[in-house]
Amino acid sequence: MINRIFHIVYKEFKMEFRERYGFLSSILYLVAITFVVFKVFGSLEGPTKVALFWVIFLFTCINIIGTSFSSQSIRRKIQYYQLYDPVELLMAKLLFNFIKVLIAGTILILLQALFSGESLVNPKLFYKSFVLASFGLTVIMCLISAISSYSDNQNALVSILSLPLVIPILLLSMRVSLISERMFLDSAVGKYLSMIFGIDLLLFSLSLIFIPIIWKS
Amino acid sequence: MKFRRDWWKVLAVILMVYVIIAGIKIPLNPGVLSNSNSQAYQGKPFATSVDCYNSFLRQAEDLNVYLWLPSDQLIKADSIVVLNDTRMEAYFHAIPTDFTIDSKNGLMVSLLLDNELEGHYFYRNAVNIKASEGSEIQLGEYASLDVIRTKKRFALPFQHILYETSRNTFFHVAIWMAMFALLICSCWNSVMYLIKKEISFDAKSSSLTNVALVFGIAGLLTGSMWAKYTWGAFWTDDIKLNMTAVSLLIYLAYWVLRASVSDPDARARLSSVFNLFAFVCLMVLVMVIPRLTDSLHPGNGGNPAFSSYDMDNVMRMVFYPAIIAYFLIGYWMAELNFRYLILKEKLQV
Repeated sequence: MINRIFHIVYKEFKMEFRERYGFLSSILYLVAITFVVFKVFGSLEGPTKVALFWVIFLFTCINIIGTSFSSQSIRRKIQYYQLYDPVELLMAKLLFNFIKVLIAGTILILLQALFSGESLVNPKLFYKSFVLASFGLTVIMCLISAISSYSDNQNALVSILSLPLVIPILLLSMRVSLISERMFLDSAVGKYLSMIFGIDLLLFSLSLIFIPIIWKS
Repeated sequence: MKFRRDWWKVLAVILMVYVIIAGIKIPLNPGVLSNSNSQAYQGKPFATSVDCYNSFLRQAEDLNVYLWLPSDQLIKADSIVVLNDTRMEAYFHAIPTDFTIDSKNGLMVSLLLDNELEGHYFYRNAVNIKASEGSEIQLGEYASLDVIRTKKRFALPFQHILYETSRNTFFHVAIWMAMFALLICSCWNSVMYLIKKEISFDAKSSSLTNVALVFGIAGLLTGSMWAKYTWGAFWTDDIKLNMTAVSLLIYLAYWVLRASVSDPDARARLSSVFNLFAFVCLMVLVMVIPRLTDSLHPGNGGNPAFSSYDMDNVMRMVFYPAIIAYFLIGYWMAELNFRYLILKEKLQV
């Protein structure tokens, strides 16, 4: 099963490489918007930096993951449908999108460090919340993109459906990252991290249960 | 209407009428609203006027006012003047000096009223007693708590700050609970649809969700009115409020999803899945997160839950029927909606 998952990931990667403008345009969006924000604010510091990080990251995620299921043409969908088990397909897509999101987020962190001229106060804690949150976002958005691939206006539906669902994860990880930047004193960091992890696990298991139901048509 | 089939609708109407009448008409227990003088000194005389609520001071014959020390000793007022049914003045010749108090902060004591008609009622931490230098030693005559009388009345508990708004428990809290019950029913129908693939389960689930959403909005409105009177604003930055707003957004997204998929089978399948997903998110948002952070709501962020302190048996006699009444009314509404959906589908085919 793991072999097949990696096979799908490899295939996805090849396909993505052939159409690399999709991912690169998301990166371009990210760079451009960070630059604009930096120019508007003059300097990035304090809670503004953290808030902007999460907002830009959220919309980049929608850009990257939102089209992961629905961009496929009907013929490719039928091919996938005949070839792969939906659970394996979902896991492969999750893995691939998770890596893409991690790359985009890391670029964003580096860009913000470059523009603001100072590195993160507690990079380890920040990365912990970032990785956990991006896994949660990936799970939710993959499932939503699979759901909305049946609809007539997929792109609008992805953001409408997924934005309210990601708010709990986003709120918790925002708080953890504020703590990691020493803007907020709270001793309950471990509790918040384990809560994000718990929500991630819950969403992951739910999406594994639901994807076979969604995927047949 | 067949009574054997529709008896619960009759029950719903009877309970609803009972809840509205009882919830608004049952009076509040008497209580102390405020006292004019909250600073007393040991060895000095102390006079205060006391404002009461829902009390009948004039009709009481044996009226006593006490200062209730934390050590459960009572200092009795020496003379009392009743001005009208809700207002009186109490006078203490001298506060005794033979109990020790913190020299910096003083001692917070409660004001206790007791009469043969209404029993006792008190205002917690109403008076602060401070030590005063150079005062003569006054030996106190203390009464024990045995002297106060308790009278059972069919009335709601008197709560400071809440006062009459505590009746909102029968509306705000009960509506939320009914909403959760309706959502659980809706999830059950979604699961049944995914197992049996019958479109009627989906229609049931969606109509239950619609009614639950209406209840959610009603709960939000009643809660916001309550917040205005107790917390001072229609919308506070309370985590439970924000999370509720988010979960309403999730359920609005459910509507959008249903509207945007045209194929009925795909719509049923997808919205069932999304409904279950949304319910799990709702549980996390409303039941888990507010309990872990600071919140103004009872039962969250270290606040004691409502029921453990403030609910008495009279309140329960209205509160539990209220939940059942709202649930039954909601179920009835959902059933009407369901029948409408089924008829619409038949007409289109």
